Amino acid sequence: MIFKCLSLIFAASFVCSGLILANPPEGIFPYKYHEEILSNGFKIIVIPMESPGLVAYYSVVRTGSRDEYEPGHSGFAHFFEHMMFRGTEKYPSHIYDKHMTEMGADANAYTSDDITCYHLNVSSEDLKMFMELESDRFLNLSYNERGFKTEAGAVHGEYLQSLSSPFFALREKLLNTAFDKHTYKHTTIGFKEDVEAMPTMYEYSKTFFNRYYRPENVVLLIVRDVNPTSTIDLAKKYYGPWEKGYVPPKITREPKQKAERSANLKFDGKSLPILSINYKSLAFDPQSTEMAACMLMGDLMFGRTSDINKKLVLDEQRVQFIGANFYSARDPKLLSIVTMVKKENDIDNVENEIYETIDHYQKNLVDEKRLNDLKSNLRYGFLMGLSTPDRVAGRLTRTIAITGGIEAIDQLYNSIDRITREDILSAANKFLVKEKRTVVVLKGR
Amino acid sequence: MGKTFVFILISTLSVIVFLTCQTSKGIKIVQLPVSSDPTISFRIWFKVGSQNDPVGKEGLADMTADMITNGSTELNSYDRILEKLYPMAAGYNGSVDKEMTVITGRIHGDNLEDYVQLFTDAILHPAFKQEDFDRIKSNTLNYLEKTLRYSNDEAFGKEALYQMVFQGTPYGHPETGLIESVKSITLEHVKKFYQTNYTRDNVVIGIGGGFDKVLVNRLKTSLETLPPNVVREVEEPEVEPIDGLQVTLIEKNTRSTAISFGFPIDVHRGEKDYYALWIANSWLGEHRNSSSHLYQVIREARGMNYGDYSYIECFPNGWARQFPPPNACRRQQIFEIWIRPVQNAQTHFALRAAIRELQKLVDNGMTKEDFNLTKKFLKKYYLHYAPTTTMRLGYKIDDVFYGIKDHLKTLPKMLDKLTLEDVNAAIKRHLQYKNMKIAMITKAAKSLKKALVSNKKSSMEYNSPKPPEVLAEDIEIEKYRLDIKEDKVKIVNADDMFIR
Repeated sequence: MIFKCLSLIFAASFVCSGLILANPPEGIFPYKYHEEILSNGFKIIVIPMESPGLVAYYSVVRTGSRDEYEPGHSGFAHFFEHMMFRGTEKYPSHIYDKHMTEMGADANAYTSDDITCYHLNVSSEDLKMFMELESDRFLNLSYNERGFKTEAGAVHGEYLQSLSSPFFALREKLLNTAFDKHTYKHTTIGFKEDVEAMPTMYEYSKTFFNRYYRPENVVLLIVRDVNPTSTIDLAKKYYGPWEKGYVPPKITREPKQKAERSANLKFDGKSLPILSINYKSLAFDPQSTEMAACMLMGDLMFGRTSDINKKLVLDEQRVQFIGANFYSARDPKLLSIVTMVKKENDIDNVENEIYETIDHYQKNLVDEKRLNDLKSNLRYGFLMGLSTPDRVAGRLTRTIAITGGIEAIDQLYNSIDRITREDILSAANKFLVKEKRTVVVLKGR
Repeated sequence: MGKTFVFILISTLSVIVFLTCQTSKGIKIVQLPVSSDPTISFRIWFKVGSQNDPVGKEGLADMTADMITNGSTELNSYDRILEKLYPMAAGYNGSVDKEMTVITGRIHGDNLEDYVQLFTDAILHPAFKQEDFDRIKSNTLNYLEKTLRYSNDEAFGKEALYQMVFQGTPYGHPETGLIESVKSITLEHVKKFYQTNYTRDNVVIGIGGGFDKVLVNRLKTSLETLPPNVVREVEEPEVEPIDGLQVTLIEKNTRSTAISFGFPIDVHRGEKDYYALWIANSWLGEHRNSSSHLYQVIREARGMNYGDYSYIECFPNGWARQFPPPNACRRQQIFEIWIRPVQNAQTHFALRAAIRELQKLVDNGMTKEDFNLTKKFLKKYYLHYAPTTTMRLGYKIDDVFYGIKDHLKTLPKMLDKLTLEDVNAAIKRHLQYKNMKIAMITKAAKSLKKALVSNKKSSMEYNSPKPPEVLAEDIEIEKYRLDIKEDKVKIVNADDMFIR
């Protein structure tokens, strides 16, 4: 009840000031949230949630490997994630680390195609000190060439570590094959030669920081057990002086794919063969029924309760697993089906089984109950994941990175609710076609 | 639909009362009521683990749990179970460690009735169908034959270390088993293992979240239908003393070297020295935290790898988790240092650097400043260990295993109580650096062996200038004597690991 009253108050202030919003009451997202955009474009979202003294503090930079558009500089978003722990003049890294240690912070970060996210969990009582430290590194990051080169070594180590996974090798090959111009051509960690050349890129790193680490391109998400007003006031104090200056990346649009592509990859290790079948998709748009239909389609066709899973995994046991990831990215990316085949000489047959499944859904309406079960699965899955401030924040970051806010969560689930059997059939016919396809097969030694 | 969830998961702050009781037929029940939690968590603990695997049938406990949680029941085929769980976005899992098997599940209160039916049915009436068995066995073999040895060198190195330390004991094989053993396991073995170990005398019920008495009674009544049988306790592993630094170089074509090393320690939760070592270990190598001293020396100052940590308790799947999982309790733990992959050429230096830091800690103890800072850190950091009902329930189960009252509450109390002298005395009592087993997944094993046994200087080359204090320390590290004897270095081909 308290939350509801607060949201009404803030909804009223939205009308007056244009600053504070509250989510609509009928959406899936169960928490009222409060949002403010400072004059420098910096957005703060506070979600009040009772928690045992912990605050989830997420700085969402709306830049990932997608924004690495200059040749020779792939992997920089991820590299920069490392550099952000190198300190400032006021708080050099050893002082920053000492404060973080004193606060018992659970601090980490990750980077993917559309996001770099700095996520921290701290005790509520340390929020003020913590915000001072966090804002300082975003506003005043400072590192020398020596520190830069040292961190390049750690990144190279991370790249080497990734190489032992066949799934990483497959992903690297797939993206390089499926894309010609768009920056989705490389993985988040970057092309091997670019990772190796990173120690020589000190000057460029400063350009990268000045271009993307700007208030218009960063959203602060705080989930905690307090009245949001004081938290927002605190954020205004610390992030208010941050100078605008975001320069959008000049990303080349991927030309329309006109014919099927394929690649084979020999993995330098032992692995069952992995078959990856992918189709060019559409950009994330939470209000698009077409995108929501694509999202659902993957699970309906290839999920754990699908006919093909029953046939190939459970009954005939010809593949170790089969699954699909049909989630969209900021720009059109890939709808991906992946399976691990038990016998090399069965790869072609399994591939045909996948095409037959797609063909079936292009000609027949999906069973109504399965569609409803999937909608229920998505809702319960989303909500059961909201068990701590950290998990609430974690569930929202990708949506924030792509859309700039969390309104898209309710919009997306509303779109999902609207999906009909006909929408699935239509999406299958539009997207799962040969000329949009890229197939990669990995074989171990 | 949306309205149903408006009040979901609002609070985890409700008063939590832990209850432990025993049913008339002797089943212990651990309850963690959290009335405001709209979900219910289950942890059904069977006192059986990979230590109970018969010799030659290593992997049997794991496969049995897999058959229960990933197979058909007498009432439903597995695909039918998946269909029923699907709209609830629910599932259940079996985790097998050396001494414990825990079947876990979590469900939204809206779907409780249907879920409990499926969950208890899986435990009480597994169908043990041949087709489920074939699928699970094939997956297990693929993991052992390919994934573990060829897709994740860090997991490989850790498993190799545990196998080396516990060789010849019931702890001496991966929970998943050994390749030849798994091949020899039949469905009949699984059925027999289930009948012997999944009994009402061998189970503890854990339940947490927004449940009521009716549910507790229902679970109790259901599990009391399990047959009786008191399982013979497996003796605590008797570990052979380690003489010097014993190295196993596991050779494979790899661009970097994963390193794990350690030795057994006789310290357990509930004992004063455990909490003292908790502080010391946090300073030396807090898992995936830049506060780790090893991290500072190897990664932060020198950029040699992605991270460097140490442990006083096992930490399964450490590469994928930030905090330790509950329900991996063991009577015999090891002290372990984990060096994430370093470039092959830097292996010797990295090993020297890590052992040298361990020596400094053992010889000199913690400083007052580090001690105070680490206490301050842990006082808040431990709050992250168990933020959810299901994690707290897991810790309650652990308390029953170790026979202690409340580990999570004891942690901050011991931080207040322990002195620097207590910690440094515990370090002296339990940690050392001369007798350890070392596992390395590496490429040029022969040349590495030569370098190791000759105490050859391991010069470091950097791609950037380093501060004078780092370079000065490097001079000490590169000539640090490990004194590894030639007959203590074994080279094994990766293909020959975990066979039998």
